[in-house]
Amino acid sequence: MTAHENGTAKAAVACEGVWQVFGADAEHALGDALKQNDGNAKAAASLLRERGLIAAVCDVDFEVGNGELFVIMGLSGSGKSTLLRCISNLIRATAGRIQIEGEDLRAAGERRLIELRREKLGMVFQHFGLFPHMNVTENVAYPLRVKGIPAKERHARADEVIRLVGLEGRESAYPRELSGGQRQRVGIARSLAVDPSIWFLDEPFSALDPLIRRQLQDEFLRIQTHLKKSIVFVTHDIAEALKLADRIAIMRDGEIVQVGTPAEIVLRPADNYVRGFSRDVAKGKHACVDSIMRPLDKDAPGADDPGLRPNMTLDAALASCMSLYEAVPVRDDNGNVIGSVRPKDLVAALQVEDS
Amino acid sequence: MTRISSIPFLPSLSSLPSSSLAGMAVLATGGLCLIFASVFPWLVVFPEAWSLPMSEWIGVSLTWLFELIKPAVRLVSFVLEYPMAWMNKGLTTTPWQISIGAVTALGWYIGGWRMALLGFLGLGFVLVSGYWIEGMNTLALVGVSVPLALTIGGLTGIVAYEFARVRNVIQTFLDIMQTVPTFAYLTPLLLLFGFGPVVGLIASAIYASPPVARNVLLGLQRVDAEIKEAAIMSGSTRMQQLFLVELPAAKRQIMIGVNQSLMAALSMVIIAAVIGGFDDIGWEVLLTMRKAQFGESFLAGLVIVAFAILMDRMSARLIEEGARFDFRISMGIFAASVLAWLAGSEYLPGASEFALLDGVAERVDSGLGEFTAAQGARLDEIKNGAMFYGLLPLRIGLDEAVLPFTWGFQWDAGMSALLLGVAIAVALALAYRGRPLAGIGLVLAAGMLETGIANLPWPFVLAGASALGWVAGGRKLALYAFLMLAAVLISGLWERALLSLYLCGASVFACALVGGIIGLLCAVSPMAWRIVRPVCDMLQTIPLFVFLIPVLMFFQIGEFSAFLAICFYAIVPMVRYTRHGLVETPAELLEAAQACGSTRWQILRDIRAPYAAPTILLGLNQTILYAFAMLVIAALIGTTGLGQSIYLALGQADVGLGISAGAAMAILALVADRLVQGFARSRREALGL
Repeated sequence: MTAHENGTAKAAVACEGVWQVFGADAEHALGDALKQNDGNAKAAASLLRERGLIAAVCDVDFEVGNGELFVIMGLSGSGKSTLLRCISNLIRATAGRIQIEGEDLRAAGERRLIELRREKLGMVFQHFGLFPHMNVTENVAYPLRVKGIPAKERHARADEVIRLVGLEGRESAYPRELSGGQRQRVGIARSLAVDPSIWFLDEPFSALDPLIRRQLQDEFLRIQTHLKKSIVFVTHDIAEALKLADRIAIMRDGEIVQVGTPAEIVLRPADNYVRGFSRDVAKGKHACVDSIMRPLDKDAPGADDPGLRPNMTLDAALASCMSLYEAVPVRDDNGNVIGSVRPKDLVAALQVEDS
Repeated sequence: MTRISSIPFLPSLSSLPSSSLAGMAVLATGGLCLIFASVFPWLVVFPEAWSLPMSEWIGVSLTWLFELIKPAVRLVSFVLEYPMAWMNKGLTTTPWQISIGAVTALGWYIGGWRMALLGFLGLGFVLVSGYWIEGMNTLALVGVSVPLALTIGGLTGIVAYEFARVRNVIQTFLDIMQTVPTFAYLTPLLLLFGFGPVVGLIASAIYASPPVARNVLLGLQRVDAEIKEAAIMSGSTRMQQLFLVELPAAKRQIMIGVNQSLMAALSMVIIAAVIGGFDDIGWEVLLTMRKAQFGESFLAGLVIVAFAILMDRMSARLIEEGARFDFRISMGIFAASVLAWLAGSEYLPGASEFALLDGVAERVDSGLGEFTAAQGARLDEIKNGAMFYGLLPLRIGLDEAVLPFTWGFQWDAGMSALLLGVAIAVALALAYRGRPLAGIGLVLAAGMLETGIANLPWPFVLAGASALGWVAGGRKLALYAFLMLAAVLISGLWERALLSLYLCGASVFACALVGGIIGLLCAVSPMAWRIVRPVCDMLQTIPLFVFLIPVLMFFQIGEFSAFLAICFYAIVPMVRYTRHGLVETPAELLEAAQACGSTRWQILRDIRAPYAAPTILLGLNQTILYAFAMLVIAALIGTTGLGQSIYLALGQADVGLGISAGAAMAILALVADRLVQGFARSRREALGL
């Protein structure tokens, strides 16, 4: 117990055995189902479904490190949005432990939750969730208003965040007068108004046109390099997940089927479901040399040195070893050889699977 | 070469759809009743000995309850007299120049010159009609009762939203409140508060709160889930969520409630004049109507209409978000009105001294007199024709209504047999062609026409309602319809209920027919809609009471006048929904039909009509509810049935009869509502909507 707490002390968000079951008397039904199956989550979930309950999130474990951009990815109905709502405590999880910077959220009272939301948490919604009767400044300043911060101060802070998201000049516009992209900028600004340390984003760019989506993704990354929040980001778009994530969790039927870096997801899918996602992705752009690098003692590099670096994408690496057959060295920034790559591994990794 | 086995003369019972089975069951019940009616008279007339004296029980228990709470109630009434007196004093002593100026200025601010003009002309009309003081008295009642209704209704709506556990109870209660006829409210209030304007005030506050509660609840429920979540994630407390985010975000829906509440309050304030007005405009209408001074009552009625339109249009403007107009111009208008008062008060007459339209009233009166004198024969002909050939047979059946005196011959058993025989023959032919349900319906209709609605055997009515319930919504609805009607049956109000059912049914049938045709016309011709639409708007704005005036002017007191009044009021939803349903067919479907080569009429018949069916059914439902609402008001001009009982109970302060008759009326309306809603739902489901 203590060891575990020590282990997660640094995690921004830690989930352990989180369940969300909908239906009559869900808590008992879940306990019952788990007992009948000796704690086997998969079996318990299918038993619950047989009994007409909805097991939206089943026995989910993961941790999000400080400053990490953690993406939860899955098709609609896979439980990803429900999971995010459990973590943010918009719905109370049926079972499990959810810790925010070491504090158990499920044990927190109503008052403490409000406090946490006023200090530490920010959330962005798919359809923006803007208050229709407030203009941009009022929307952005709302979290400060409920905190009791005087109008002048909170408007000054709101203007600061509005500038950060590039909406200066539209302060007095109402949501209905803004375009989709602008609306989500307001949503982002509002979620940042209290300068939270943990940032939840629920498919923030899904409702936008592809062009605007890319623009906002880039800006989101720019903002994140400034602010270094710990982020839980939900999306159904694999390209978005690969582009933004430090790590990705892939969900299906309420369970997490794989957690890994974008390269791991692309190169070593846990099963056919995950493989299905990565099939259409140009892997060479997402995976880097380090994902297929082998230790020096296993494969001594040959004479050729095309100058591979661990953070080079596979595409770039392949381009420079087109005509090579023997293993080649990989060097770090100081020029030291830290591993080797066999060109045929490169080719194999880039092959689109047909299974 | 006859292959008898392959000819589906009559489909076997098990292969019939449930609707046909239900129809056959009803048919069998009716047939049995018809055969055994002479042996067992209790099949037709429910024996009095079997019924429970519910009215008395209710009366006794309520009187006891009222005695108990009377002190508290009297206190409320005492407290309420103050704001009422202030409002009254304020409105009646404010110089008319300033009142008109203020309303015009408000009109400008919320809706530009159109609203300003509407305000000016509306109040101007009230002024020149000479009913200024009476109008202001009515307005004072509305002015106090609406804030009360908003408070009560708003709180109820919020409570229903916050506590899921009581939500269903509150919603059922609101449903009942809106179906219980207006007069039925008045009797218990009369007992509690005694005579005086406070009764009208309370009645209208109660009557006007359900729309607020309903719309507040609906508005809060409809606020986007993400908006609510965003409020939570911003760290709001529950109160902050509710008052800073959810209620303001629901503003539009809530304003719709305010609009409905205003209209309901005005309607009720005017109806409340029946129990003794105090120099308000409703009283004026009632008084002049009783004295048969139709010119004056017409004028007073127009004043009510002016108020109704003003309130409706102005509050409707508030629903629409949008630019407000220059406030400075409003201030200017107001300032001008004050100046006009200061400068011209000596030269211009006081508010009640205007009588510019008295001449008009007299002329209307005399003109009407001349018209009815000249056209009396023709009017009587219309009235008698409708009565003898339409309403009466429907009420007491062909066997009693067809007399040598009216129809020129006597209906005898042979004719009955012939009618039923022909109906059965046609029905068999229909069944042979694969439409058994149409056949059953035809025989049922013939049987009902032969017997008359008021003489229908009670087992037949119960079976019919249950069968409809079964087809429309399964066993639960069948049981609901059966139990509700059975309650009316044993309460001893059955005969009166059938009479109400007959008049309501006749008007609804007429409305469905005429309204459907008008709706169809408006759907195919935008020109027709441009003409019909303002008429519909107008008819829907006018308080129920006012509908009585024109029919009385031409057809005097009687069932036919009541029928007409009900039709004028209840036809509007039928027209609106029919048109709406027909027009709103998705363009894609129409294009697909067009691409298949359908003509306009084929599209209307094959695509638009089936698609519109659920919407039209909802219109029919509204029409039925409107008809029931008006039925009670129409009791003022002579109807029989429950409406009359409610009205009589009011006069005799008989709270037991008032409540039980009101409840019976509400039951009829609720059952009809559930049945039609059930059909609409199953149609919608069949279409996958």
